[in-house]
Amino acid sequence: MLITDKESFKRLQKLNQLALTEKEETDVLAFFTARNEDITALGAVDTENVERMVHVMPMETVVREDKEIKLFTRDELQKSAPESYEGYWQVPRLVE
Amino acid sequence: MKLYLAKNENVTSPAVVLDDMILTSDLPTTGGSMMLDNYMSLFGADIIEKLTKAGYAIAGKANVGEFGIDLVGETSYYGAVTDDKGNLSSASAELVKSGDVLAAIGLDVNGAGRRAAAMNGLVYVKPTYGTVSRYGTIPAACSGETVSVSAKTVSDCKAVLASIVGHDDKDGTSLPEEKCELVKTSAASLKKVAVIKSLTKDIDADTAAKLDAVKASLTAAGVTVEEIDCDVLAYAKTAWGILMCAELCNNVSRYDGVKYGHRSENYKTIGELYTNSRTEAFGELTKTAILYGSETLSDDNYMPVYDKSLRIRRVIIEAFASLHAEYDAVIIPASSKAAYTEADINANKYISFDEALYTAPASISGLPSVVAGGVQLIGKAFSENTLFEAAKIIEEGK
Amino acid sequence: MRYETVIGLEVHVELATESKIFCSCSAKFGGEQNDHVCPACCGMPGMLPVVNKHVVDLGMTAGMMLNCDINRTTTFDKKSYYYPDLPCSYQTTQWFAPVAVNGLVDIETSKGKKSIRIKQIHMEEDAGKLVHDDWTDTSLVDFNRTSVPLIEIVSQPDLSSAEEVIAYLERLRSLLRFAKVSDCRMEQGSMRCDVNLSVRPEGSDKLGVRTEMKNMNSLTAITRAIEYEVARHIDAIENGTEELVQETRRWDDVKGKSYAMRNKETAGDYRYFPDPNIMPVVIDDAWYNGIKASLPEFPEIKRARYIDELGLTEYDADLLTASRAFCDCFEAAYEVCGSAKEVANWLISDCMNILNRKQMTVDELKLDGKTLGELIKLCMDGKVNRGNAKKILMEMFDSETPIDPAAYAEANGFIVSNDTGKMDEVIKAAVAADPKAVADFKGGKEKALLAIFGKCMKELKGNCDPQKLREALLKHIDSL
Repeated sequence: MLITDKESFKRLQKLNQLALTEKEETDVLAFFTARNEDITALGAVDTENVERMVHVMPMETVVREDKEIKLFTRDELQKSAPESYEGYWQVPRLVE
Repeated sequence: MKLYLAKNENVTSPAVVLDDMILTSDLPTTGGSMMLDNYMSLFGADIIEKLTKAGYAIAGKANVGEFGIDLVGETSYYGAVTDDKGNLSSASAELVKSGDVLAAIGLDVNGAGRRAAAMNGLVYVKPTYGTVSRYGTIPAACSGETVSVSAKTVSDCKAVLASIVGHDDKDGTSLPEEKCELVKTSAASLKKVAVIKSLTKDIDADTAAKLDAVKASLTAAGVTVEEIDCDVLAYAKTAWGILMCAELCNNVSRYDGVKYGHRSENYKTIGELYTNSRTEAFGELTKTAILYGSETLSDDNYMPVYDKSLRIRRVIIEAFASLHAEYDAVIIPASSKAAYTEADINANKYISFDEALYTAPASISGLPSVVAGGVQLIGKAFSENTLFEAAKIIEEGK
Repeated sequence: MRYETVIGLEVHVELATESKIFCSCSAKFGGEQNDHVCPACCGMPGMLPVVNKHVVDLGMTAGMMLNCDINRTTTFDKKSYYYPDLPCSYQTTQWFAPVAVNGLVDIETSKGKKSIRIKQIHMEEDAGKLVHDDWTDTSLVDFNRTSVPLIEIVSQPDLSSAEEVIAYLERLRSLLRFAKVSDCRMEQGSMRCDVNLSVRPEGSDKLGVRTEMKNMNSLTAITRAIEYEVARHIDAIENGTEELVQETRRWDDVKGKSYAMRNKETAGDYRYFPDPNIMPVVIDDAWYNGIKASLPEFPEIKRARYIDELGLTEYDADLLTASRAFCDCFEAAYEVCGSAKEVANWLISDCMNILNRKQMTVDELKLDGKTLGELIKLCMDGKVNRGNAKKILMEMFDSETPIDPAAYAEANGFIVSNDTGKMDEVIKAAVAADPKAVADFKGGKEKALLAIFGKCMKELKGNCDPQKLREALLKHIDSL
């Protein structure tokens, strides 16, 4: 069951780096409550002996040869960077 | 109202428009999100090369709902798109309808394109999963999303699809070339189709009329049309909603304000940079989907919710397999209402989740779906030619 | 009270591939910041992961070297968390069906032999690196290491002391280097180790509070960290100095202390799920058997064979089997020249000297074994003398192109001459030029002959059998 209490919901937002307004919180919690009904309804489908299906097409991975290819330069990659410094992407200082 | 988010000058004919979920190296790509406002990709989608090679010009980029997860065309950062009557439409459908372009290429995540095509009387195809490369598309729900084509006529839709079908080494889910070829070469076989009764009981009169017309055209052409029940298809809505949101949550977690895209001006710590950038730049439906998806993957919910949905996917695919053993196509509406307005959304802002009742069966299963005459026809894998034949009959029966 | 320590290790090893695990960027160590980066490994949308075959080769190889069962269908999953060195905010790893499971590694310590169980080996991508910059007071992100392929080797909690941990790590390093899975250089971070540790009263069947320690980059640091952490746990249990909590701690080797980490992965809740973009990797019989057949002999088996079958001394066998490169070179050279002892001498004295002078490690030996064997054979057959052969060896190390020892010796006049006429001529001339030395020699000063001998050798450019020259010289003087 999806969480529906405010405290857990705050944690969930933090986990996803989001901060909802109070109105949004109320709405999404109501949405969760509705989805819980849907999820409960899924119980009607017997999946006891059914194998999960991640990929819809039965296929094996096609591996690639271990060969180096350079596609773009650092300058090209950092053209859209909000902040960069001497070839690095730059963020506020982290404390370990 | 923005139809084009970016446009090429001096476009030759025939031209196609790309939904803004498809990356281009010469025009910005936004995914309909403020997060990627003005974002320039360093590379373009694999299909662009194929389209160009086949002689199609790229007219520009069409406005889309944020990350393609909405269903009735309401969540773009650049505003909703309405038709001349004020109904919520889609930018690509409007551009095709007006004749501005021959066809539109989209990424079918939740079925928004199918819904818009049905509303506007266009022909639309979401081909078999894995037959068109997804390299260079903005990832939303990778296990089901498929590059799709819409056009005014069956022949244009078919021709544009044929130009983009094919194996691509850069996409690990791309099927081998000989499988992809089946989309173009497999023989059409259209004798018997089934309308899923349980999915027609809540539709409005306009939609019901479209369905009746389609049934009449097919019957007149000698195709047997039967009405049957298949209750399990109704569970696709919830199961696909879960898979789609979990995958979306994961796919859009890369948008954090560090490497590119929107960065909030208001931060001191890395946590604030992340949270404020994402909170400012994502729309409400995307935020809801992220939180929902994340929650379905929690330790407590993974098995009973997420894994359950993966199992239901198999149940649905098996249900389709038994339907397709008897019927060449399965017919279901593309939505419950022929048209939606702002008022509908104001009444229920999660309409995209509810209306997925009609679009999710094809999304979760990866099966080909063709929209014609305002309804959806779902076939077995690689049976696009059969579905196009039905579409042709419907087109001629109009 | 007596305590026992329960330790499980998670060892990350960077695989020796040319390109990254899911994209084709260079996987080499170092490079200028963000020079080995593409849209995929800096988190831009649109590129899709395509698995590097060699990563699976090496994952399987590691599994087989550590006696694991190989999962013939192995899959990739996504693990989500936010950190600036993780560009997609998820790491692609293996959660549900890792490449190898249920292994066993034998170690030997002062307390005897012990088997350590391996829970699993999974393949995954590495994260990038952060540089904390004082000048700008910001953190700088370098994605060169992002998506470099790793395997994580997870042991069962079977270790009980720092000594066992070190023995286990050295054993892993030896096996993985031998199988060319990784260079396992802790100082470059290509082998890293997280220590999960708890302490409990001896005989107790209840586990104590477990802490995880990260950031040890040498065996010494690991030993120090374990000893520190054990003491900290016991102190907490006995004296209540602090409350032990399950947490991740960072080892500071300079201060000799561990600290609780304040962020990153401490929260858990990784929301693993199967990656929809990566189809299952299916290892068919041909692939599996190919890898199986390519496995090297274990170093200790080689060592025994070198001693028992090839007659090497224990000392020589130890030195050679310390490095796969030396073993390969040794075996190829032996095949050509047939003398194990000769090859061992050349490798251990001459080659080792050259490597030392070049400040290279034994693993960096690039010498072609077959060529070395040909050179040794020339020397053994008396066709090139040892001094000249050493010159050729030097050239083999220095030259960028392969050297054919016979052709090189020919071209540089290093071939020992069988032309006795020329030798006689040289001897006659040398003897005639130094009558005093001849007289001294005849007078009983044996050493006086050395000067003439040396002169002849020089005149012949060394290309003669010294024994024959000596005999011919004596014969000539006798005949005077």
